Amino acid sequence: MNFKKSISSLKLPHYKSTAAKASVRVAPPSEVLLPMNMHSGQAAEPVVAVGDYVRVGQLIAREEGRNSSPVYATISGTVAAIEPYESEPGRKTQAILIKGDGKMEVDPSVQPPEIHDLDSFLAAVRQSGIVGLGGAAFPLWAKLDAIRKGPIKTVLINGAECEPFITSDHRTMVEHSDLVVKGVALLKEYLHSEEFILGIENNKPDAIAEMQRVFADDPAVVVKPLKSVYPQGAKQVLLYNAAGLVVGEGQRLASLGYIIINVTSLAKMAEYIETGMPLVSRCLTVDGSAIKEPKNLEVPIGTRISYLVEACGGLKEEAGKVIFGGPMMGKTAYSMEQPIVKATNAIVVMNRKDAAALEPSACIHCGRCVANCPLGLNPTAYAKALEIDDKMERYALLDKEKVSMCMECGCCSYVCPAHRPLVENNREAKRFAKKVKTELQEQEKEKEGGK
Amino acid sequence: METNLILSSSPHIHTRDSSRRIMLDVIIALLPAAIAGIIIFGAKALGVIAACVITAVVSEALFNLIVHKQQTVGDFSAVVTGLLLALNLSTNVAIWQCVVGSAFAIVVVKCLFGGLGKNFANPAITGRVFMLLAFSTVAGGAKPAVVELVSSATPLELLAQGSENAPGLMELFLGLHGGAIGETCCLALLLGFAWLLFRRVIKWHVPVIFIGTVFVLYLVFTGSFQMALAEILAGGLFIGAIFMATDYVTSPITLKGKMVFALGCGLVTFIIRYFCAYPEGVSFSILAMNILTPYIEKFTANTPLGGSKNG
Ligand code: SF4
Ligand code: SF4
Repeated sequence: MNFKKSISSLKLPHYKSTAAKASVRVAPPSEVLLPMNMHSGQAAEPVVAVGDYVRVGQLIAREEGRNSSPVYATISGTVAAIEPYESEPGRKTQAILIKGDGKMEVDPSVQPPEIHDLDSFLAAVRQSGIVGLGGAAFPLWAKLDAIRKGPIKTVLINGAECEPFITSDHRTMVEHSDLVVKGVALLKEYLHSEEFILGIENNKPDAIAEMQRVFADDPAVVVKPLKSVYPQGAKQVLLYNAAGLVVGEGQRLASLGYIIINVTSLAKMAEYIETGMPLVSRCLTVDGSAIKEPKNLEVPIGTRISYLVEACGGLKEEAGKVIFGGPMMGKTAYSMEQPIVKATNAIVVMNRKDAAALEPSACIHCGRCVANCPLGLNPTAYAKALEIDDKMERYALLDKEKVSMCMECGCCSYVCPAHRPLVENNREAKRFAKKVKTELQEQEKEKEGGK
Repeated sequence: METNLILSSSPHIHTRDSSRRIMLDVIIALLPAAIAGIIIFGAKALGVIAACVITAVVSEALFNLIVHKQQTVGDFSAVVTGLLLALNLSTNVAIWQCVVGSAFAIVVVKCLFGGLGKNFANPAITGRVFMLLAFSTVAGGAKPAVVELVSSATPLELLAQGSENAPGLMELFLGLHGGAIGETCCLALLLGFAWLLFRRVIKWHVPVIFIGTVFVLYLVFTGSFQMALAEILAGGLFIGAIFMATDYVTSPITLKGKMVFALGCGLVTFIIRYFCAYPEGVSFSILAMNILTPYIEKFTANTPLGGSKNG
């Protein structure tokens, strides 16, 4: 096996000004907009009609297939519209608009689920509507479902939270340590996992202390302080630094008996099993140079960004860029009226100056992008490949340089002194390589079929 | 839909470093050597430096104007090339030769290949080698004009002849002897090296391996510590190892590759100097390794984490 001594990573400015701020529950917004594509799989299908009265925790859209996830009303009120929505330019879906009545009436269907075995446990997690809350948006139950293919011996709990600004996982660990404990107990009971490694960056000493306190008597749980470097929370990096493990290319993590769960997802899961309240609200960080009073807020999913900004005292400067998530991997919002979704762990609003684009210049071959890629990839090769006209030649180079492994962490772009748009290139290259690969596989199949 | 928000790909924050800042750091790092050169060789040195730098910048600007390319002189890379070339010339070169050499370095070696980042050989070195070849006949002697000295032969030649006039180690270190403007004062070059390290423009590996290889080989072949030391202090090894072998564009992209590159430079320098008794080892070795760079890159690529070896 090719073990590298240490994974290259970046020392980024932390900007975690909200780390010590307890999350604040704000008055419910007057309306929420709930997109049907808040998870990685197929869009959910609305089961309510315009005019229906809905209560908090009521099912309003059902899952469509394995990697899909149900959606619940996050405030009580009337379904005002079921309308087309673009979650990002070009990514179209439907969204349910609920006009609130301010009562936050809880739906009678919200009852703790009955669980007695693995099947009922997984079914419950499936119904909870929980997806990877650290940003991945992959349904939690589907991840746990790996147990059917083989034992899950070790659960890596991701509390690294390496992106600048974001402190919502941090607050979960400090404020809801009881739920983290319960989550671990549930996995022990139903998945029979033997080992739990909780990786936390050492810039959160209070979270580490709290986790060590609550797990002091549990030999199965190891609280692992990690260096505060980016991207400590990325799958491969966390796996290597917290568990000393490398997943081979194209190898499934679960096949090694491991899964990684975001700490907030775990806590939400425990909350659902205990109370029956599905994922209707979440804690997220609102910060950035244009925000007057950065805060951690506990808000209904579907709340519009503008409402969150108001809850943080408004803007102190004109907004230049609004980011769903952190500044390294987050996606830009096109409007302040877009809602936060299940996986939104932060809203970062930058002022005009911070948001200004840097002019790219010629690559000076300095090698920093290569030296700083946590996975040891070579982004300059992808850029070069994109200039090749011949399709198969281009694909061959990309495939050889393992473009599919790129996790779009942003390290290469961050360090590039020529400000090359490397991540953008990588993404394009990845998409291209994937397309060609599928085509090739289909041709292969056809050939076989013809025989 | 509001349109006043900026939509862009992640990441949304960047290092404060820029290509321009890097070039500026290289210029700052070259200043001690330039100043030492002016002190040691007098006002003519300043003339050579000015001629090379101005020509470099002007020719790049003109080239961009003529072919309607975006103006790139603001990145300071032309200044670096001009300065580096000047520091590798001796003061008895004619100013017009400086102009021709510098223009050649910029236009032929850099711009015609597509500008910064696209050239396969280091423009300053190639410019120097071009001048060596082009103007040797101009000088009319066996010795190329650009390394011919104001007062005496270069220390390498003296060392090779076993001359009594060969400078002592301290003189060599301080650069009080014949040679190119910026190559003689090792002290000044080391100051520049320190700056580059401090600013993280380069890592220590290439200069140390390059110089170390030459040192060790001399030690082994001559058995003389004194001789080995004198060899590394003289003849442009420091300026070549610190400033030219570390050129980003023309050396391999991974650290592994850079180390192989530096080792190769040291080896070739030694062979040229020791077996061919030709003092121009450093320039030629770097040039040779520049040409080999694509091949070195092939076998020194990083292995992706968890991925099988490339290729
Ligand atoms: S975005 Fe991809 S290529 Fe760039 S540093 Fe991250 S993993 Fe490496
Ligand atoms: S960091 Fe930027 S300038 Fe340096 S090699 Fe990579 S792409 Fe080129």
